[in-house]
Amino acid sequence: MGAIITLSLLAILLLYLGLFKAKSALLPVTLAGLALAIGFEWYGWNQMAAPQYSGMVLFDHYSIAFSILCIFIAGLVLSLSKAYFKAISENVAEYYALILFSLVGALLVCAYHNFAILFIGIEVMSVALYILVGIRKKDRASNEAALKYFLMGAFSTGFLLFGITLMYGATGSFDLSELQQYVRSTPDYQISPLFFGGILLILVGLCFKVGAAPFHFWTPDVYDGSPILITAYMSTVVKVASFAGFLRLFSMVMIPLDGFWEPLLLTIAIITLFVGNISALVQSSFKRMLAYSSIAHAGYMLFAILSIGSLSPSAILTYGLAYSLASVVAFAALILVKRQIGTDQFESFNGLAKQNPFLAFVVTVAMLSLAGIPLTAGFIGKFMMFGRVMESYHTLLLVLAAINAVIGVCYYLRVVVHLYFKSASEEVETSAIKVPLNFQIIFAISILLTLAVGVYPEWLINLL
Amino acid sequence: MSFFYLVAFLSVIFSLMTIFTKNPVHSVLYLVITFFTFTVHYIMLNAQFLAVVNFIVYMGAIMVLFLFVLMLLNLNKDTEPMKSPLVKVMGAIAGMCLLATFLGAFRALEQSDVLIKPHENIGLVENLGKVLFGEFLLPFELSSILLLTAMVGAVLLAKHEKGVKKQHG
Repeated sequence: MGAIITLSLLAILLLYLGLFKAKSALLPVTLAGLALAIGFEWYGWNQMAAPQYSGMVLFDHYSIAFSILCIFIAGLVLSLSKAYFKAISENVAEYYALILFSLVGALLVCAYHNFAILFIGIEVMSVALYILVGIRKKDRASNEAALKYFLMGAFSTGFLLFGITLMYGATGSFDLSELQQYVRSTPDYQISPLFFGGILLILVGLCFKVGAAPFHFWTPDVYDGSPILITAYMSTVVKVASFAGFLRLFSMVMIPLDGFWEPLLLTIAIITLFVGNISALVQSSFKRMLAYSSIAHAGYMLFAILSIGSLSPSAILTYGLAYSLASVVAFAALILVKRQIGTDQFESFNGLAKQNPFLAFVVTVAMLSLAGIPLTAGFIGKFMMFGRVMESYHTLLLVLAAINAVIGVCYYLRVVVHLYFKSASEEVETSAIKVPLNFQIIFAISILLTLAVGVYPEWLINLL
Repeated sequence: MSFFYLVAFLSVIFSLMTIFTKNPVHSVLYLVITFFTFTVHYIMLNAQFLAVVNFIVYMGAIMVLFLFVLMLLNLNKDTEPMKSPLVKVMGAIAGMCLLATFLGAFRALEQSDVLIKPHENIGLVENLGKVLFGEFLLPFELSSILLLTAMVGAVLLAKHEKGVKKQHG
């Protein structure tokens, strides 16, 4: 709870800093606040975990680990924002505040123990994003993305709420423990039909939030249209938090009914994998490719929910960390390249290895991690996901996932080919890309962590 | 009971009218009447607070806002986006599947007295306040963050930025 309060107050403090024109203090104060929030979470690690505030929130190891991951990734993204927001608008403080509010929502989704908190968390997280997506007021793509995200998001929240209502109708409670009690103590044939309707609708709502097919239609346009930094935030923090909430609901409540939802989720996972990967393969824009690849990664992360077991939380945590680090690096590199060359096509990466070997190396490691090549964190994440599927004997899914992993390698390596084996056009070659200090630090942290998790994954796997 | 069927019939009729009428302004007006029938339902269920809120907020504020937006948008046939017949057919099939699922679920329901009987006055403002400031205090407080976010965002989006102002002169 300390972290949530800290972040909320921090956001309000930032609004005041913006009011008094203390713009240079914004980023240091934000990072200090995030560090304090991580400290609070860390402090709670060894305490007894019991539902607090009339069973509204539960800060167990699961929620603390995901909260720390969310805060950490948000810190990485925010560190990149120095000078980025200033180019867009005058009101920088408000952007920081909105991102922090959204982070508060993400923490609530990680820690909820009652549907009321889940709903408020998802809403806080999304409402801040609807605005952030549209902060480029004069850019048509940004406007379109904001409106699309808002309408679709509101619609999907409606599904989620209707699902929650039906479950309430069946059990008379919003509390996860009581729902768990109901599902366990009632024989299968006596469970109210409303409850199954509720599962269906909640599944739709949550699949929308994580961007799984066939509820993914908003993803490419929104990710493509919004400012790159916001896309980085959306595709990492929001996705990880939504999956944490998704898994908590299904692992606490729905396990006894897996005969009902497993086939559905299996279908969704397979469609998601194929739609994401095949669409990513044919893109010509790097940003859009990353958007589709994030759909594909959502498909892999669904594996952990499909075959729920004691290893599922750490599988999603590992995969989430690997995917987030690599995405942050990829988007940060895209910011630099786009600033220099002006487009986000693959061709803008041509010949980068000659101009700036460090940047090229960093992007290469990120791409290898996203593709799941050994010695990177992405491999460990994929390995754990495939391991989950293997344990539950979904052979068909395993074969399809392997095919998709191969497709994934194709389009990620395409970036590497552009980096190393294609030469840039002549005008670009004269001016080399400069990497600012904050970008260098973020690159170093992300790449070192990616390799560290790739080589020594035990500490992360044994965390949960 | 017969009064319930009358009101339920009216709400179904008016919600269908909302969809099928050609003129968007008429459509919104039918929606207002639909919400009014909902209010009557809430009163019959002894949910007074919900009835009042529904009456003031949905029927009053939001629907009037809808009307204003419609007038500003100036919708007519030329600006209406074309939907391919395939999308329409798919939408109809998907919607009907959902409807069939729910009808199936609702058909199997029985009236349960366990949930309703002990809380006869649950819809009154007093009881709602007790629950809101007791058990649901944390979500209640957290919704202030939601409102603050929306407020900051609304100001941020609506405010003229200096760069923009200069261009306008």
